[in-house]
Amino acid sequence: MVLRIRFHGRGGQGVKTASRIVGTAAFLVGYQVQDSPVYGAERRGAAVVAFTRFGEEAILERGVIEHPDLIVVGDETLLANPAAGVMVGQETATAIFLNAESAQPLVEQYALSPSTIAWDLTRRTQAIVGVASALSVGLAAATARLVGLIPEAQLLSAVRRELMELHLPEGAIAKNLDLASEVFNALPSLEFPLRDGQETPQKISSVLYEGLLRGSPSILNTGNAEQRQTGAWRLERPEVNFEQCTRCGLCFLQCPDGAITLDQNGYPIIDYDHCKGCMLCQTLCPVQAILSKQEVRSW
Amino acid sequence: MKVKREFYRSFKDLPSEEYLSPGSPLCAGCGGLTTLRQMHKVLGDNVVIVDAAGCMTLLAIYPFTPLRSSWLYTTMGSPSAGAQGLRDALDVLLAKHRMSADDNLQVLVLAGDGSTYGMGLSATSAAIHRGLDFWYLCYDNEAYGNTGFQLSEASPFGSATATSPQGTQQTKKNIFEIWRAHQPPYVATVSAHEPIDLAEKVRRAMTMTGPKLFLALAVCPTGWGFDPALSDEIARLAIETGVWPLKEAIAGQVRHTYIPRRLRPVREYLKLQRRFRHLFQPTLWGETLTYIQEQVNIYWQSVAKAEGAKQPTLA
Repeated sequence: MVLRIRFHGRGGQGVKTASRIVGTAAFLVGYQVQDSPVYGAERRGAAVVAFTRFGEEAILERGVIEHPDLIVVGDETLLANPAAGVMVGQETATAIFLNAESAQPLVEQYALSPSTIAWDLTRRTQAIVGVASALSVGLAAATARLVGLIPEAQLLSAVRRELMELHLPEGAIAKNLDLASEVFNALPSLEFPLRDGQETPQKISSVLYEGLLRGSPSILNTGNAEQRQTGAWRLERPEVNFEQCTRCGLCFLQCPDGAITLDQNGYPIIDYDHCKGCMLCQTLCPVQAILSKQEVRSW
Repeated sequence: MKVKREFYRSFKDLPSEEYLSPGSPLCAGCGGLTTLRQMHKVLGDNVVIVDAAGCMTLLAIYPFTPLRSSWLYTTMGSPSAGAQGLRDALDVLLAKHRMSADDNLQVLVLAGDGSTYGMGLSATSAAIHRGLDFWYLCYDNEAYGNTGFQLSEASPFGSATATSPQGTQQTKKNIFEIWRAHQPPYVATVSAHEPIDLAEKVRRAMTMTGPKLFLALAVCPTGWGFDPALSDEIARLAIETGVWPLKEAIAGQVRHTYIPRRLRPVREYLKLQRRFRHLFQPTLWGETLTYIQEQVNIYWQSVAKAEGAKQPTLA
């Protein structure tokens, strides 16, 4: 038997580390293990997927997990992003774990499997670890508990081992261990009807095609990267308070992406289709005329 | 002390044209991208970029490009050789009147520190030696950033990289002086935090024929480990602590375009970055920090002596 877990999150939320912790914990229990992340050339805030497979025999499967037993979602806003592929293969999944306050509205909105479990990992991570987006340990602990094959002791050793490898200070590791215990003991264990045999994925990696208009841009056009909407990376949203703005133009000059333009009167206009939410403009504004609004709950 | 401005007095004087569209896949808060944007504004639209493999490769991934200018992609070792080929091709077309002078392009090499300080240096050295008429912009983020932040010859002493997790033991190579030793008409260091200083330097170099070399400190939230909201703040601290001097060399003559009156302690710059965290915790590496500060002090003492300027109050 092989148990297949697929983790979804945004760059910076610790999805890759979560998959590693689960892999290490399963290894400590005595299973054969494989874990790997997939991310493109896009960084913080962009969609990230990671995979963990474990089982009693050598794992010969490779590549992406198309038919997961468990889907773990660190960020509910990814459900709205078809390119993130969160729901791919959900028909075979025994369960979906969502970091969200409640499952019901999301299950209805996105037609998710009724066996979707939601738990507010963000709030507890903020309270215990102090950083709302440091979700790796919580996601790993939830996974270990839900699959029911990893005891708490092995989970905690794996957390310690992986966080030490990331050179986290001892204090931060201790807080994460507390979080792991709390999450582990708050969630139920589920029965996973395990499928026999191993799958040969059709493709090592799957390419997502976009619609014709966006998917096949004219390569003769200059500046066609404008068709890529990097605004979906944004965790926080800068908003200009025009009453305070002195039109100094600093934000326009310093925006790395050129996502700020000036209108006829010299006021900054932020292009939300492309602003990646680095929030550099807010920090450098000399009169604090740029405010930040939270875009993604876990940040 | 700032040198007298020749072309641009305030932000409002800087060209407002935009030659890079948004939507590139570079990291949020990328200092290298800001620098390229600012430099391109002054260069104008007749530019062909010769890119060395590196972070900026991500700018133009088929079928998308944010550039309104042209682009040639080369290996890490050969952007300057690529620039030679392009310049020659353009010159041949011009000489044969198969291209009008209006369509002539300025050749700009765009390379990171891995290419500039290391793999590509031989080809660049040869291109400068031949007096190739080209621009060169090195976005120096002090490591091989695109592949996971491994040590490069630009990694500063003490900084942690993926391949020197306990702190780099080597000293950052002085590429400014290596370039200058080739006697090109123009060499400068720049920072996106000082867009007017940057624009002035590009404008000054514009009248010169031959290699025009720019070294930019490209603050890197991903590799250096800081919140991208602090990108400009880190760039500012690099200048105010004296870690990143702003200077130029015209026909070999060095002058600093900004000499701080008082240097801020270098710790203020280091402590905000994860790559220097091991110098502060779990134990304070006092001697190492003192050594880094001393190196900065020695540098500015020599600047004051060489340029007859008032020495900054040392931290």
